[in-house]
Amino acid sequence: MSARISARISAKTLRYLIVIGLIALWEGLPRAGLIPELFLPSLSSTLVAGWTDAAEYGHALAVTLYEVVVSMAFACGGGILLGAIVGSLPRPRILIMPMVSSLYAVPLVILYPVFTVWLGIGSESKIAFASIYGFLPTMLATAAGIQTIDPQLLLAARSMGATLSQRLVRVIIPAAIPTVLSGLRVGGALVIVGVVVSEMLISSAGIGYLISRYRTILDSAHVFAGVLLVLFLAIGFNAVIRWIERRAAIWQTGTRAGQANDEIATGAIQPAT
Amino acid sequence: MQPLANVTPLKPAARAGAIEVKNVGQVFKTRSQDVVALEDVSLEVKPGRFVVLVGPSGCGKSTLLMMMAGLRQQTAGTITISGAPILQPDPDRVGVVFQEASLFPWLTAEDNVEFPLALRGVPKAERRAKAQDALKLVGLDGFGRRHPHELSGGMKQRVSIARGLVQDPPVLLMDEPFAALDEQTRMTMGDELLRIWAATGKTVVFVTHSLTEAVYLADEVIVMSARPGRIVDHLQVQLPRPRTYEMLSGDAFGSLRDRIWRHIRKSA
Repeated sequence: MSARISARISAKTLRYLIVIGLIALWEGLPRAGLIPELFLPSLSSTLVAGWTDAAEYGHALAVTLYEVVVSMAFACGGGILLGAIVGSLPRPRILIMPMVSSLYAVPLVILYPVFTVWLGIGSESKIAFASIYGFLPTMLATAAGIQTIDPQLLLAARSMGATLSQRLVRVIIPAAIPTVLSGLRVGGALVIVGVVVSEMLISSAGIGYLISRYRTILDSAHVFAGVLLVLFLAIGFNAVIRWIERRAAIWQTGTRAGQANDEIATGAIQPAT
Repeated sequence: MQPLANVTPLKPAARAGAIEVKNVGQVFKTRSQDVVALEDVSLEVKPGRFVVLVGPSGCGKSTLLMMMAGLRQQTAGTITISGAPILQPDPDRVGVVFQEASLFPWLTAEDNVEFPLALRGVPKAERRAKAQDALKLVGLDGFGRRHPHELSGGMKQRVSIARGLVQDPPVLLMDEPFAALDEQTRMTMGDELLRIWAATGKTVVFVTHSLTEAVYLADEVIVMSARPGRIVDHLQVQLPRPRTYEMLSGDAFGSLRDRIWRHIRKSA
């Protein structure tokens, strides 16, 4: 046991070391002249560029954050709702699922110019695009999560006299939570991608717009300052999801993560069978 | 072939725990044809008896059990439990234990046992007390805080039994409850079930594939034929209780098991 913990600690330290190493390389390589500043500006010049135009970046971040949050609400709310309906009713499932699955394989970004025609180049077109982009995986995961609930659990609940609404609240929702969460993880990440990419393509504000604009004037330091902000956005989103997952950790125990423990439990507690 | 249901004729017992199945049939409608799963099944179980249903795969024994539990409606005939027809699940009259542990993985053992009580809004303290009693009865005192994945297969089925008993129904229906367990655990659980049965005096209807398990546990064994399911034999197991491991190799045990096996081989 202690060996395992120490292994885990060393893995964690190693991860930190890798990150620190990359940061050092980011600073060191351009400074040593091994990589031209145009390709990779040093970390310090990136930070300075970001700091001197902090107001501009702050404004862009606010725009992007607003678009991400609204899109996420649409994508996740709509995805969970529609996924739940499609997952629990066989008729719409047969109708919709094949369409959604094939739609998921289409690079939706080709539709973005159409969105700008319909909704203009402001936030609306980004929100519409990113919502649909993140909606699909959330919906597919929710539908799959509800579809794959062990029918035995529902039968058992019914044998104990559970009504339809009791089965929904006490069995279906908790049983679907792990799959829905994994859908949210993918869907939320795609929302961020959708917002930033659409800002880079056609827009007048946001981090993606800044990155794209500074690229056209070959100001690499400012480009990388924008990239760094997107990076923080993604890390922040990941932290939120991990926090939710930890809170719902008990729900995960019946799934794959729990299987491994199952073996241990069977071995260790054999005498009390 | 005429059904050989040679049930001892009895006055319909209105007592708690009595089960009466009368001319029950079940037809599954599929797109191409109607499949007769059960045909004219009649049997009577007196309160407190341990009855085992055996038969080849697909003979409808689990279907019959699900109908007794009110989880499926028969297409013909009537089923009464404790004197009243069973039209929907009624946890006051019937507790059900399923094949694999059908415990909710996100709930602890005691929360699982409390589940049927929580559905009916029983106050927390009363719920907990009843769950503790049920867990103690099945030999899991002190394991209430564990989640199902922290329990062995046998322990999970003990929790399932506790959940089936927590509302103190007179009848316990068990659908191949030990099928997923290994041989040793299965034997131990059989003895445990007999102990719990003796302590509570429930009527038990137990479905299994294992002929040894059937004879070892039962007061009566009901043998069913392959589809359409009919009752082909109804054996009284006269072996003394408590049953012991030594009986398994005895002549009485062997001849009962052979008799069941001949029926099953014939219809399979």
